[in-house]
Amino acid sequence: MVDKLDTEDVIDLTIKKLQELSFEDYILQTEKSNKSQIRFADNQITIVKNWASMDLGIFAVKNQKTVAVELQDLTSETILSSLDSLDKLVSSLPPNQNYMGISDGPFSYPSIDELSDPDLIDFHEQALDKVTASINAAQEEGAKRSAGVLYWDATKVQLISSRGARAKAHSTKYEYTIRSFVDDTSSGAEIDVGRLSSRIDLEEAGIKAGKIAKMSVGGVSGSPGKYNILLAPKVAGDIVAATPVAANPFSVEIGLSWLKDKIGEQIGPEFISVYDDALLPNGIGSKSFDDEGHPTGRNVLVENGILKGFIHNTSTAKKAGTISTGNAGLVFPQNTNIFFEPGDHSFEELMEISKDKPTLYITNNWYTRFTSYADGIFSTIPRDGMFLVENGEITKPVRELRVSDTMFNIFGNIKAMGKDIKQIKSWEVSTPTFIPAILLEDINITAATS
Amino acid sequence: MTAEPIDLVEKAIEKGEKLGAQYIEARLVDLKSNTSILKSGVPELGAIFRSKGIGIRVLKDGGVGFASFNEMTKEEMNIAVTFATKMAEAGGNRRSKKIAFSEEEIHKTTYQAIGHSGKRPLEISPEEKINRLINLDKIAAEVETDAIIPFRFFQMLDQTEKKLIITNEGARIESETDLLQLFGLIVAVNPTTGSKEQLMIQKGKAGGYESLDFWKIEEFIEKEVTTLGKIVTEAKEAPKGTIDYVVGPNVIGIMCHENQGHPSEGDRILGREGAQAGESYLKQDMIGEKIGSDKVTIIDDPTLVGSYGYYLYDDEGIKAGPRHLLKDGIFQDMLHNRESAAFMQTKSTAAARAIGYNREPIPRMANTYLAPGDFELGELIEDVKLGVLMHNFTEWNIDDRRYQSKYVGLEAYLIENGEVKHMVRRPVVETTTPKLWGSVDAVAKKSLLEFDAATCGKGDPMQGAPVYHGGSFMRIRNVEVR
Repeated sequence: MVDKLDTEDVIDLTIKKLQELSFEDYILQTEKSNKSQIRFADNQITIVKNWASMDLGIFAVKNQKTVAVELQDLTSETILSSLDSLDKLVSSLPPNQNYMGISDGPFSYPSIDELSDPDLIDFHEQALDKVTASINAAQEEGAKRSAGVLYWDATKVQLISSRGARAKAHSTKYEYTIRSFVDDTSSGAEIDVGRLSSRIDLEEAGIKAGKIAKMSVGGVSGSPGKYNILLAPKVAGDIVAATPVAANPFSVEIGLSWLKDKIGEQIGPEFISVYDDALLPNGIGSKSFDDEGHPTGRNVLVENGILKGFIHNTSTAKKAGTISTGNAGLVFPQNTNIFFEPGDHSFEELMEISKDKPTLYITNNWYTRFTSYADGIFSTIPRDGMFLVENGEITKPVRELRVSDTMFNIFGNIKAMGKDIKQIKSWEVSTPTFIPAILLEDINITAATS
Repeated sequence: MTAEPIDLVEKAIEKGEKLGAQYIEARLVDLKSNTSILKSGVPELGAIFRSKGIGIRVLKDGGVGFASFNEMTKEEMNIAVTFATKMAEAGGNRRSKKIAFSEEEIHKTTYQAIGHSGKRPLEISPEEKINRLINLDKIAAEVETDAIIPFRFFQMLDQTEKKLIITNEGARIESETDLLQLFGLIVAVNPTTGSKEQLMIQKGKAGGYESLDFWKIEEFIEKEVTTLGKIVTEAKEAPKGTIDYVVGPNVIGIMCHENQGHPSEGDRILGREGAQAGESYLKQDMIGEKIGSDKVTIIDDPTLVGSYGYYLYDDEGIKAGPRHLLKDGIFQDMLHNRESAAFMQTKSTAAARAIGYNREPIPRMANTYLAPGDFELGELIEDVKLGVLMHNFTEWNIDDRRYQSKYVGLEAYLIENGEVKHMVRRPVVETTTPKLWGSVDAVAKKSLLEFDAATCGKGDPMQGAPVYHGGSFMRIRNVEVR
């Protein structure tokens, strides 16, 4: 048995060994976290979980060869043997011609409001009460049963680079999903995500999920064809936000993006502007430094419908003849928060705008898959309440349809934007996204043939 | 002070019993993994992953609590066991329907699925691995084709996982498993039209470095990239109307996985995954009901030697064996862990899998396939007037009750009057599960049975489970294509 290593011991031991092994550049990131979760189904708690974890991530460079280690086993023996293995690995690799350095510090970092809340650390009893209230609220709206997940965490991160970056952050966050059912095929879902306990409103989420479930009772199979589609923020956060998320040079280089050679082109209507914004208060993706220790910021991706640029780390930026946007991930650039400038329409106005065309209101979706990423050809399946909108009003629930189109049409055919922004982070939407309800024009809808 | 992980596992059981746990399991997982990433021939990253942690699950007062930790101290263990017990109690006290675990036979055993002939992943030099990967990229880049191949991405990942599961009922299962995995993404472009086609590659197998030879990986890459080039330059429009499909192992596999494997998961049927992964069109009272034609027998078998989803005992220590999800078209077995089995007053089918020390064991597939029939491939084709022979798929999706699915073909050919003709582009099967299984009228013989590797997504936090899926060839009659 040996003494337990604390964070500072881990950092000291790692740097000493990396220097001994003559790595030219390195970035170390430690993460100490305590995460919890309550899951429920059929209106009852199914499990309560807790994860305590101490992790170390290292990115290191020798002779322009790039290697990384992720350790969830922080004994001195494992750290030292892993770094020896890393040294063997780096000697076996050819140079990475795409590597062009890491960001030169030291840096000063932006301050971001509403990143952390001490009340979210010891939250289990309150969390159980809030979940119960949310289930009850859905039932009061007519739901027979609800399933869901509440997750919350407190995380401390520390970063040190050989280029002078020194950064620390403490953050908390919560993510909630409730899906309510009146019967097997009549359901509604809602989410609530953020960083502060004072913002949590699980009861409201339960009310919304229950209402949609109730409204979707008696749904009939819809007909395939061209429709205007009115997307709730959860759906827009998946298929409309997919285009700014594809503004990533790594995705372009491996054929997972439809935005190759599109910078400077008009890809959406003039009223659309989208940012990658790391500085949003209460943003799940907000942070003051990236994985190189470079300060983050607010970067325009789409302005007045024109694709203005990609997110970058130091290497991808130099290759593109620009500067880092502060979006470095361990291997490739990563988004922080995607932020859509809102429009000025209420939900009712969006329905009214579409009154002359067959229109579907889609409240949730899942299983977005691509026939060709590079062409943006995809389909996705609406789930939970989906409604026909006629003459500017929701008239009846419909089911069993699929959105089958291209990402160019989805983004290019935006007809109008709602004014109320919602923060989305869900099972389907992994990049935190601030987005309103959005109306799209002339989208292809398919259905199973029998 | 740190402690020996095995001591902590044993002490955790004692501690849980002292705190009144009805059931406690402690699972120690020691994972060593290495990966290399190659982007269009450039080695983007070599990486090492090491993790060692303990997951604790407790049943008490009709509720379940789970806690995990990776700092090997007695203090962390005590916190985790106390939390899991307290939260099981808190959750259970709020439940009207109490959670129970099914009564099962207890096992104490050890098993391995490791590389043979001295080819265990961790024993192979990083240099040998990266050179093999670079050679694969070179093969893909230099394939003779009329198409342009502008994007190539390869990742090789090997891992060795040692696992020890102990329960207060006396189970003790020790296992050691090697996995080798290869991922790839290749895009071909028609130089005239600019039209593109993508090929996603996933290979995976329990065992060591010899898996690459088993897959004949160099030949495989050359063949698949050559075919991709032909698809994008030669394939014509796929037929519409009411036609027949003859689909190969890759397509059958994904259909078995999505249309029958997922809806047979006991927790889905009970609604436990309702918030995210979804529920099921199948219900408990549908056992014995006819879902497909009598040609359709779908088996999930974790014990297939060398398979990607291989295990002999599940993560609750239950002995595994084949599950007949559909037998001659009839819904027979579900995928159960002890919790879903108890709710349905039956026995576990040893489907509990936890992907990592910090995940709970939930019902999962392992290796799902359509049992072969007697037909030659030629016999399936010769009876087709108008149809499509679909070897593999690209896009697919299915609703969360697993009822309405869509599969888009990648390598596919027109069948006309019993003969295979030219390539066709992106044929679509968009139909319901009962219609799909009900329309199968012939299945090809065992010698054509093949498996593909996949990562099955389920749970929150996500648990990506390694699985096989496969089959031989099957014929689907009268599919309406718009």
